[in-house]
Amino acid sequence: MIIPKEVKQKPFEYIILLICLVIGFIFYILIGDNQARRWIIYSVGIVYFAWSLYHHYQRGDLQLSIVVEYLLVILLGIVFISGTLF
Amino acid sequence: MLKKLWTHYFIPQEKNNHRATLLKPNFLLFFLILYLLNQSVIKTLVIIKPGILGYSSEITVQKVLDQTNNERKNLGLESLSYNSILSQSAQKKAEDMFENDYWAHNSPQGKTPWTFFDASGYKYSVAGENLAKDFYNTESLIKAWMNSPTHKANIVHQKYKEIGIAVVNGTIDGIKTTLVVEHFGTPLIGQIETSSTLTNDSQVSKSSGVKTGNILAGNSEKLISPLTVSKIFNSAIFIVLVIVLFVDGYITIKNNVHRLTGSTVGHIGFLIFIFLLMIYNQQGSIF
Repeated sequence: MIIPKEVKQKPFEYIILLICLVIGFIFYILIGDNQARRWIIYSVGIVYFAWSLYHHYQRGDLQLSIVVEYLLVILLGIVFISGTLF
Repeated sequence: MLKKLWTHYFIPQEKNNHRATLLKPNFLLFFLILYLLNQSVIKTLVIIKPGILGYSSEITVQKVLDQTNNERKNLGLESLSYNSILSQSAQKKAEDMFENDYWAHNSPQGKTPWTFFDASGYKYSVAGENLAKDFYNTESLIKAWMNSPTHKANIVHQKYKEIGIAVVNGTIDGIKTTLVVEHFGTPLIGQIETSSTLTNDSQVSKSSGVKTGNILAGNSEKLISPLTVSKIFNSAIFIVLVIVLFVDGYITIKNNVHRLTGSTVGHIGFLIFIFLLMIYNQQGSIF
């Protein structure tokens, strides 16, 4: 199994991210209310953005282009899911 | 030429600064705009040509009755008897939602579910209502209700003896849909119990523009659901993005390239999370 170098270097950061995503998914399944589900998706998006800032700050390559990339990926995800769910 | 173009967009290499062009911020923005454009086209089409996009389900009254009773049997409860007056009540409720363009337990005019029970002449000691829309088949509908504690409480309520069901096609908010209404009740004989059970506190949704429903029970013509169109479109974009991310990640690891971009593993994780939610998402909504 190929483990990317970035994961090998900072396994703890990726484990934290994985835990956050899994928790978000579990909450989404357990909560039936659409309004609450919407907030779960927003929260996971915010957590992922915060994770990215920390991750790149630690790596020493936190730049505007990277921040924009994360914002776009998160926005894409949220907009896609919102369009189909709500 | 075509191969060059393809590799430029999909494969990280020196020429594209070791990042597949499709994953660069300007292309991510392009995907976002493409998606919003697709949504706008669907919404416009629904308004201009209401008959083009819509929803047609395989749900029938008999299937809903059988599967509701199956759920009760599984828990050792008595089956509910089909009551035609309760079905009239459920039918009136569905028609009212189409006529007044709302989707809730209480109508914008202040009608409660009990208004329809009373109007149909069903005297109850205890009663309840389950609503659903946009489901394609009965299995997923019953599953969604059983996964919701409040709806399940109605289906497996020990005190209910009778049930009425309406499966009605019509137009809400310009979109053709199938509404399923279950009215539960116990006739008022002897001992009176004044409590009534609702699946959910109603949140009345107001919408402008009244559309007369095309009221039908059972199946109707095949239509394309806007929800399905949207899901297929989103899934296609998602699959492309995730595949490109995987290829990008694999080649970067293989070539041991250091570059100034976001984490490919992180992006894949986040997009897989979103994709799983899209797959998990129910076909329709319940109330």
